[in-house]
Amino acid sequence: MSEFTTFKGLARVASVELLLILRDPMAAFFAVAFPLVLLWVKMHTADPLPGGLPIVAATVPMLSTFVIGLATLVVLPATIAQYRERRILKRLRATPASSVLLLTVQWAAHLLLAVVGTVLLIVVGVVAFDLGAPANTGSVVLAWLLGAMSLGAIGLLLGAVLPSTRGATVIGLTLFFPMVFLSGAMIPRELASPSMRSIGDLLPLAPVVQSLRAGWTGEALSMVHLGVMVAIFVVAGGLAVRLLRG
Amino acid sequence: MTVIEIENLRKSYHDRPAVDGLSLRVERGEIFGIAGANGAGKTTVVECAAGLRPYDDGTVRVLGLDPRTDRRRLLQRVGVQLQEAALPDALRVGEAFRMYASLYQHPLDWRALMDEWGLTEKRRVGFASLSGGWKQRLFVALALIGDPEVVFLDELTTALDPLARRSTWDRVRKLRERGVTVVLVTHFLEEAEALCDRVAIIDRGRVVTAGSPQALIAEAGTDSLDSAYLTLTGRGL
Repeated sequence: MSEFTTFKGLARVASVELLLILRDPMAAFFAVAFPLVLLWVKMHTADPLPGGLPIVAATVPMLSTFVIGLATLVVLPATIAQYRERRILKRLRATPASSVLLLTVQWAAHLLLAVVGTVLLIVVGVVAFDLGAPANTGSVVLAWLLGAMSLGAIGLLLGAVLPSTRGATVIGLTLFFPMVFLSGAMIPRELASPSMRSIGDLLPLAPVVQSLRAGWTGEALSMVHLGVMVAIFVVAGGLAVRLLRG
Repeated sequence: MTVIEIENLRKSYHDRPAVDGLSLRVERGEIFGIAGANGAGKTTVVECAAGLRPYDDGTVRVLGLDPRTDRRRLLQRVGVQLQEAALPDALRVGEAFRMYASLYQHPLDWRALMDEWGLTEKRRVGFASLSGGWKQRLFVALALIGDPEVVFLDELTTALDPLARRSTWDRVRKLRERGVTVVLVTHFLEEAEALCDRVAIIDRGRVVTAGSPQALIAEAGTDSLDSAYLTLTGRGL
């Protein structure tokens, strides 16, 4: 079934949506510039990690998770809620495009936002802070993609159930910030207290951080983490599609 | 040839009927007006016919398709200008044309369409910075981008000044020359009289009467469609 006429058409809509996100100063700052500020601060203040791991090799994967989380859990639900609230979605529904596909395009555009943020972190890490190449690039890419898919599915679900832009932003931030701290995207896991870790490990950000870090330093990826990310993607994504269709 | 066939359509919101057993037929190539006061059910009829709103009862066929089950196939061939709709604030006019064109299988050349509607000079302006009149014009043009056989225009010229209104009317007449069927929803009877081949007057979710503007004026024994409307709906003084 052809949704848009071509893949080119699909890519065009996604790239326009990405442009729209980047034109919003808040989203652009928090997803693209703010993580770089955090990187700079960390590199000038953090204590060495146990085991002699360079701080930058832990921090770049951690902040990449921050970027994915911000793009998918905060910006994405707010965009969808705004499209519904302002009747932008209503106008789009008066075209032959399927609403599920239009929201998939939104999801893709927000993943592109996360790609932009992640690439910038890596480039600045390499240029300014001597970041080495990942030990296992394939693992890093896989972890990043599964992380973006699982958190993106949660973001879509939030966008589907939250009625207003304001509500979506508040709920997104309320979920995002504690998770970032508890799951080790701001504070390295090895420096967190055991109680903090035991809570943080239950949150959907945890498998993303840990898989990205493992891939970067060359440890094997945990099948449990990969499985959890896939499960979140399937369950949250399936629910979101059902709700958004209705 | 009939392109729109609505039979006994019913739609209630919270048990209050908005459309209450409405029937009408629109023939290919005509400009058909749906006229009535605010709250008469006009927009609901259009939204049901374009597959944007489920209805409670009745039959609707547009180009032979059922909008409830064939919405997306229908919307390849039907353009809609909605009364309440928006684009993202930061989306520029040129980007809107390009993006909406990519949603259709056989779109018109969007640059030519943008030019035809005088929007090329605004192509770099974001939606939020457009005045009401320009927004309206953009929405009408976007309704045509899929090269539709049928266009629904809901309150076409409400936000336009008299000059822009006349030029919009001319463009709508040109659509008819190209064989496009136009359904014009309006509470502005002068517009219906100037533009429509036939008009259905709707009141409380039903068709009171339908016919050419001249026939309706004759039926009411008045001198304009405006006063004919008041007489025919029993709302005259």
